[in-house]
Amino acid sequence: MAKRPSKNGQAAELDDELLEKDEAAASAGQNGDAPRRKRRATAHSMAASQRDISVSEFFAKNRHLLGFDNPRKALLTTIKEAVDNSLDACEEAGILPEIWVHIEQTGTNRYKVGVQDNGPGILKKQIPLIFGKLLYGSKFHRLRMSRGQQGIGISAAGMYGVLTTGKPVKIISKVSRRKPAHYYEIKIDTKKNLPEILNGGGDGVDIPPGEAGSKYIQKHGIEWIELDHGTRVTIELDGRFHRGRGSVDDYLEQTAIANPHVTLHYLDPESGTGQGEERVYERSTTRLPREPKEIKPHPYGIELGMLVTMLQDAKAMTLSQFLTSSFSRVSPSVASRICETAGLSTRANTTKIGRNEADKLFQAIMQTKIGAPATDCISPIGEELLLKGLHHVVPGEFYIASTRPPAVYRGNPFLIEVALAYGGMSSANRVPLDVLGELLAESDARTLRQFLSSTFYGLGSEAADKIIKEAGIGPRTSPGKLKPAEIARLHEAMRSVNLEAGQTMNVLRYANRVPLQFQHGACAITQMVMQTNWRSYGLTQSRGQLPTGPVTIMVHVASVWVPFTSESKEAIASYPEIQKELRLALQSVGRKLGMYLRRRLKVKQEGERRNIFLRYLGEVAGAVSEINRADRKKLYDQLLLVAKRKTASADLKLDERGKVVDEEPTDFGDNVLIVEQKSDFGIRNSEAKNGQKGS
Amino acid sequence: MAKKARKAAAQGTNGSAKKAAALTARDKKTLKDLIGLADRIVDDAQKKRDPYIDIPTRALSNVRYNKTRRRIEMGSNKNRRQLFNLSQAKSYMQTVLVASGCKQLIEQGKTTSIRGLYYLLKHTIEGTREETFDDQAECDPVIEDVEVGLNSLREELHVYASNRGNLVGPLTLVDSGDEIDCSRMGSAGYSIPSIVEQDVIEFKKCTAKFILHVEKDTVWRRFSEDKFWQKHNCILTHGGGQPPRGVRRMLNRLHNELKLPIYCLLDNDPWGYYIYSVIKQGSINLAYESERMAIPDAKFLGLRSRDYERCGLSPSVKINLNEQDIKRAKQIASYPWFEHKKAWQKEIEQMLSNGFKLEVESLISKDISYVTETYTPARLADGEWLD
Repeated sequence: MAKRPSKNGQAAELDDELLEKDEAAASAGQNGDAPRRKRRATAHSMAASQRDISVSEFFAKNRHLLGFDNPRKALLTTIKEAVDNSLDACEEAGILPEIWVHIEQTGTNRYKVGVQDNGPGILKKQIPLIFGKLLYGSKFHRLRMSRGQQGIGISAAGMYGVLTTGKPVKIISKVSRRKPAHYYEIKIDTKKNLPEILNGGGDGVDIPPGEAGSKYIQKHGIEWIELDHGTRVTIELDGRFHRGRGSVDDYLEQTAIANPHVTLHYLDPESGTGQGEERVYERSTTRLPREPKEIKPHPYGIELGMLVTMLQDAKAMTLSQFLTSSFSRVSPSVASRICETAGLSTRANTTKIGRNEADKLFQAIMQTKIGAPATDCISPIGEELLLKGLHHVVPGEFYIASTRPPAVYRGNPFLIEVALAYGGMSSANRVPLDVLGELLAESDARTLRQFLSSTFYGLGSEAADKIIKEAGIGPRTSPGKLKPAEIARLHEAMRSVNLEAGQTMNVLRYANRVPLQFQHGACAITQMVMQTNWRSYGLTQSRGQLPTGPVTIMVHVASVWVPFTSESKEAIASYPEIQKELRLALQSVGRKLGMYLRRRLKVKQEGERRNIFLRYLGEVAGAVSEINRADRKKLYDQLLLVAKRKTASADLKLDERGKVVDEEPTDFGDNVLIVEQKSDFGIRNSEAKNGQKGS
Repeated sequence: MAKKARKAAAQGTNGSAKKAAALTARDKKTLKDLIGLADRIVDDAQKKRDPYIDIPTRALSNVRYNKTRRRIEMGSNKNRRQLFNLSQAKSYMQTVLVASGCKQLIEQGKTTSIRGLYYLLKHTIEGTREETFDDQAECDPVIEDVEVGLNSLREELHVYASNRGNLVGPLTLVDSGDEIDCSRMGSAGYSIPSIVEQDVIEFKKCTAKFILHVEKDTVWRRFSEDKFWQKHNCILTHGGGQPPRGVRRMLNRLHNELKLPIYCLLDNDPWGYYIYSVIKQGSINLAYESERMAIPDAKFLGLRSRDYERCGLSPSVKINLNEQDIKRAKQIASYPWFEHKKAWQKEIEQMLSNGFKLEVESLISKDISYVTETYTPARLADGEWLD
């Protein structure tokens, strides 16, 4: 093997030669035009300031890369990382997750975030490393679908908390009923990227069970919900709590959609002041998602450098053994075919493989046909649960879900799931008056219009203008300065204005069951949704825009390694393979939506047609009887009969209540849910129930 | 007394004590046609068929130029108007309504203007917020449809249009029993009614030698004030732009019954050409009435495309042709009744190459009475006109 330059700068001979050439060229240039200037710094003086950069230092400076660019996002990212870790832990341990999220305001722009799970707990000695060291974790080196990937998230959140408030991260973890819970207060040493334990003389504290323990916990300003096992992390940080788009509320709601097996308890900052109450997202299924299997890398996803490293790391074995044991989908026969193509012996020892041989081997791997990787490393949500989850949270009349078969990008298996909900009222139609008042008071939008379009999903500026006009309030009014009467008018207008026309599609993006809330423009999912021609499926859409209409679409990308565009995991990178699968999945739900909308339109049109005929029949009968004294009533009835015959298809699908009767249930195939629209019928129903209670 | 009318009065289901007037033979025929229309609808309904009304197509595609008679005649194409067709349902309903309105008018022996009929039939459709007719423009073509559909004339339906067009000249006539001397009608002249059939207007005495028809009121006033009709012994008429049927029928009767030649003084633009075309061989829209309306011997006296140079007009009277004018001019040039007339082709070509149009009023820029004292007499004397 050739000598390679080592990290410390001891250049190999080859490199020396290159350097000399460079210098010669440079000096030649200098001699040519100007007198030699004195150097500002010498190689020696520069070397004095060259040193290692710790990861934590890097991320402390570049915290926007991790999603801590502003106080709002910081709060959300903190909760997100904690919840993701909790869910991963619970699922890995096979426990049905139950999560408590508690946000408490401790000062202006300062919040205390507590997240607890009923997971397996963390061993005492691991706690400081997991919460106090960046790039420490179990998920980076294995190929298996999980929410977390790098081992940065929660420790970065802790670091941010320490940086902004100086308060340590507080962790309680309990691994079993028989063992006491551990309590740690940790700070991350950003210079060394190592945890610094503050309590118990650098060793943490065991919390005794029972009264004494709970008293101790209370004294330290943290809550602990008594469980046999679980972990609670409490971080105090600079943040901003808000509602609407990109808020904690939203994140938790969307998490509930994609994780129907999770129960979420959520106490927002208002609940502490007695204004709100705990919100609970109950699980709609008790079935845990299939446990994803860990897989070896697929040969197609490998790069030459990686192959070389693997060969070096491998113990002495034959090439065939190496190939079959380090990659998935490589059987001895595939291995021998690879070796044959590369012109190497299957019995060759890995230690004898040099750079050239490795290159040949790499080329051979790429030329050999190898089966797609096993896909049991991915656990899809499943069409049934997608429908359930979406129906649970998003009101609508038509639901469709589609799970694509797994595919591969760069050797990493991935899978796309799409669910779509059509119809139902937008959130702006549903918001109760008191909540609207709160939202207005909290909003930092400068104008009412901005407030409306930033707070409610799918509410475009056009619809916002309509509402403001209807309410008769100046469009530039500050949302915080509305009088109660004006708020009432606004509320009335929001309920009455038909928002369907100006409503844009609501896209919920997920990666490994985690909702993505920022950078939607940069995300492959949004881009593919925009590129899909929704007009052919009965929605209106301007070119290169999201379609309009009361539609919510949920797209889930599940993979052993989701290619994010940055460490803050906000957008998915556009690999052609992923784009293709996204397109196919979107088209498959689009086709079903189109079928539904066309049928709905047809019934509606036929109904309208009949209405038009009926409208004029009376006039025609009247005029005819005026002319020839025919019996008006009889003529009208006869014409009515003809009209009914002409518009028979409107009849077929309407029952006596005028509701659509589904006569062709097989029409749509599987995984479609059609919900009868809640009209005033629903109200009547609930009234009836109340009446029964009263009697 | 007609049997039908008596029957109607006896039944009186509508509850209104409408007095049945004495019906003329023509009224009886029209009533019969109307009832026939209604009976067909009842019949269709009984047999569970889509009721429909066939209405002769009133479009260029369905008119024919009859070369021997030199007038436009209607073809046999028909449009079927169905009740159970989304785009036709409303106009079907309107057609039946107009028919019933006419039936009421005939029965009561009354006439009304087309605007009056519109108001008679306009109401909100029961159970909706829709009006039977939104405006008169929606009602007028339906009235024409009924005329054509029943092959009867407007006056037979007891409907007339508002008066437009005046007449002055040495003519005495009897209008609804009143004897009128059209040379003594003051500055405004005799207003030509919408219905000028023999039972309304009778010609008593006429000493005029020809008729001069001008396009609009302004020019007519000029001629009238300058007593052109006295000097040249003629009847002077105008039709307020496109002449209404009353004016055209009047001209037709004057021409045929009193053997008076007709000369038209119209603007030099596609619109003026078309007015002449309508007077001469009838309109496309009312092709079914050409027989009573068209005057194939009418002459086009002016204005000519060459008049700008010939009369030395100032450039400020030019009006540039717009795209629509050019399109229309080409369309007119291709009408079969212009197609083979070289003089006309040359005329239209010249206007197009001029690139501007001229109104008769533009002659006033030379001198107020240039048109009456110089231009028209010169043309008549030279016998220079287009046919």
